[in-house]
Amino acid sequence: MPEPVIALVEMTKRFKDFTAVDALTLQVEPAEIFGLLGPNGSGKTTTINAISGLSKPTSGSVHVLGHDVVADPRTVRRRLGVVPQETALYEELTADANLRFHGDLFDVPREVLARRMTELLDLVQLADRRGDRVGSFSGGMKRRLALARALLHDPELLYLDEPTLGVDVQSRRALWDHILELKAQGKTVLITTNYLEEASALCDRIAILDHGRLVALDSPANLRRRYGDTVLDMVLQEPLAEAILAELRGIHGVTQISVSDNALKVALADAPEATGEVVTLVTRHTRLIRIDQHEPGLEEVFLQLTGRDLRD
Amino acid sequence: MSHALRVIRAVCLKDLRLALREPISTAIGVILPINFLFLFSLFALTGGEAPIAVVLLDDGPLAQQFVLSLQQAHSFQVHLADPGQAHAELVEGRIVGVVTVPAAFSAQLQSSRQIDLPVDVNNLNVDFTNDIRRAVPLSITSFYAQAFPGQVVVRANESDVQPQDTGYVSYLAVSIVVIGLFIEGVLQSAVITAREYEDHTMIELTLAPASPLAVTVGKIAAGFVLSAAAGVLATLVVVFVVGVRPVYPLEVVAFGLLITVPAVASGVFVGTLLKRRQAAIPLAIGSTLPLFFLSGPFGPPNWGGAMGTVALISPLTYAIALFQHAFHGYLTAQPALATDLLVLVGFSVLAIGAAGVVLRRGIVP
Repeated sequence: MPEPVIALVEMTKRFKDFTAVDALTLQVEPAEIFGLLGPNGSGKTTTINAISGLSKPTSGSVHVLGHDVVADPRTVRRRLGVVPQETALYEELTADANLRFHGDLFDVPREVLARRMTELLDLVQLADRRGDRVGSFSGGMKRRLALARALLHDPELLYLDEPTLGVDVQSRRALWDHILELKAQGKTVLITTNYLEEASALCDRIAILDHGRLVALDSPANLRRRYGDTVLDMVLQEPLAEAILAELRGIHGVTQISVSDNALKVALADAPEATGEVVTLVTRHTRLIRIDQHEPGLEEVFLQLTGRDLRD
Repeated sequence: MSHALRVIRAVCLKDLRLALREPISTAIGVILPINFLFLFSLFALTGGEAPIAVVLLDDGPLAQQFVLSLQQAHSFQVHLADPGQAHAELVEGRIVGVVTVPAAFSAQLQSSRQIDLPVDVNNLNVDFTNDIRRAVPLSITSFYAQAFPGQVVVRANESDVQPQDTGYVSYLAVSIVVIGLFIEGVLQSAVITAREYEDHTMIELTLAPASPLAVTVGKIAAGFVLSAAAGVLATLVVVFVVGVRPVYPLEVVAFGLLITVPAVASGVFVGTLLKRRQAAIPLAIGSTLPLFFLSGPFGPPNWGGAMGTVALISPLTYAIALFQHAFHGYLTAQPALATDLLVLVGFSVLAIGAAGVVLRRGIVP
C-alpha cells in the first residue's frame, strides 16, 4: 500500500486557551484531490499551516511525503507547491520575472528552468503575456500564473487555497481542467474552497472541519448519500407545529427535517412512498405554496453537519 | 552557485527591480542625503554668523583696521553702509546690528581719548544679540592689541591639538553624509521589507525552502546598493560642491560601506516588525534624526548623564567619528580608530542577527 502523502495523527493546535484544531487524524492518498472544508474559524488555515510547516502542532504529528514537517520543514516545502488565496505575485514584475524568482528560491536547475517556464506558461495559456507586468493581468490570469509558479519546481503535493475565488466562469472551468489534469499526472492536490460546487466537481474525498474537529470525511457522493437521496423543499402558508414536525420525523424514510420560518426541507432515503406521505401530512395542516424535489447537494450536508453555511 | 547564494542574489535583484519600478520614491530616497546636506548647511550658514552693517564715518587708517578686526572675528557677516541704509536694514530685520565708527575715531585714538562706539542691536534673536554683545568687545580688544602692541601686555598663546582648523560647515557636512547614509539605509530596507507584507508576497518567501538568513542578506544587499548610491552622491557633493577634500579617500569608501551595513540591517528589522510602509517610514526618520543630534554632528559628543549614555550606545557616534577621520584626518572623542571600527562591526553583526531572527519569526503569515 503506498505511503500517504499527508498523514495527520491526533494533531492538536492550541493558542493559549483556544483550541484551533482538536486531535485531527486524517490521511491524503497519492494522486488524490482532497478537499478541506469548513466555516470560518473551523481550523482549516491552522491545519494547512501545520501541513506547510508554518506552525508547529501543540501535540500529535504531521507527516508530508513521509517527512516529519516539524523536524524537516525545508524538505517538505521543496516538494510542496502552493497557490495562496492572495496569489502572492509581484505585480510590478513581469510573469517571467515572477517565475524566474520562484525558480531561484526553489533552486530549480538553471538548465531546466527556462524550459519549465515555457511549458507551464503554455499550459496556463499565458505564453504570449510572459513579458507583461502582472499588475496588468485579470484575476483569472493571476490565478493561472500562480498555478504555473506553484508547479515550476515540480512538486508532488499541490495546495490550492480558494483556487477560483474572484474568477469568472470561463476561467473557473479552465482552472478546474488544469487541476484535473494534475491529478491525471499523478500529483496530489489539496484544496480549500468555499464553493461546494467546486469541491463536488473536483474532489475525490472531502474532510469537513468544524470547531477544530473532523465532522465528516468521505467522497462527495457518499456524503450526499448520508444525507438522503431526495430532498423536498417546501414553502408553507404557515409554519407547522412541533407536534406535526415530530409526526413527520416518524414517517419511514425521512432522514432529516429542517425548518426556517415558512420553509420546510425534508430529506428522504430509500422510501419512494414517503414523498406522498409527507405531502399528505403537510397539506392536512396548512396550504402548500410551493414544492420542489431534488437530489441533495453538499450545501445540505454541510449545513446538517455544521449548522452553518460555508460562507458564514 | 550554492542555493543560499542564489537566494541572496535573487532577492537582491528582485528588490532592486521593484525599487526601480517606483522611480520617484527611489529617487527621493537617493537624494535624501543631499537634501539634508542642503538643509543643514543653510542652517549653519544662516545661524553661524550675525549679519551686521558698519557705518564708517572716519576713513583714517585706525578706523579701517578696526573694521578689519570685526571682519576677522568669525562672528559677523560685515558690510559697509551709510547711516540711513543701515538703519533701514536694521528695522527691516535684514541685519541684527549696526556698528558706527565715529568721524574722529582715528584722531581720538591717537590722542588717547575715550571713544564711545555706537552699537545698535535688533535684539529679537537672543542668539545673535549675544554674539554681538560678546564679539564686539572682543574685536575691540583684538584691534587694540594689533594697533597698539606695546600697551596690551596680556596675550593668549594658543597651541593647537589638530594640525589645521576645521570649519563648522566642513565638519557638519561630513556628519550629514553619515546621517544621510544611515537614514537612507534604514528607510530603503524598511520599505523594501514592509512592502512584502503589504502585498502578501512574504508568503512566497515563507513557503520557499530558502534559509531566512539568506533572504535577510538578500534584502540587506538590495538596501545596501540603494544606500551606497545615495552615499556616493552625497560624498561627491561634499567633496566637489562644499569643497571638503578627504585626507584618506580609501577610508571614505571603506567606512562609508561599513556605516551602511547596520543601517540597512536595522531597516529590515523595522520593516519586518511593523509590516507597514506608512508606519516604517516615520519611525525610520523619527528615530534616526534625534540619535544623530546626540551623536556629535557638530563636534565630538560630550554630553553627560542619559544623553551621554545614548550617544555612547549610538552607532552614529562611531560612524561620525570614523568619517571625520577619513575626511579630516583626526580622531574625535573616541579612544582609537580601531575601537570605533570594532564597535561599528559589532553593531552590524547585531543588526543583521536581529533582522534575521525577526524575519524568521515574522514570515509566518
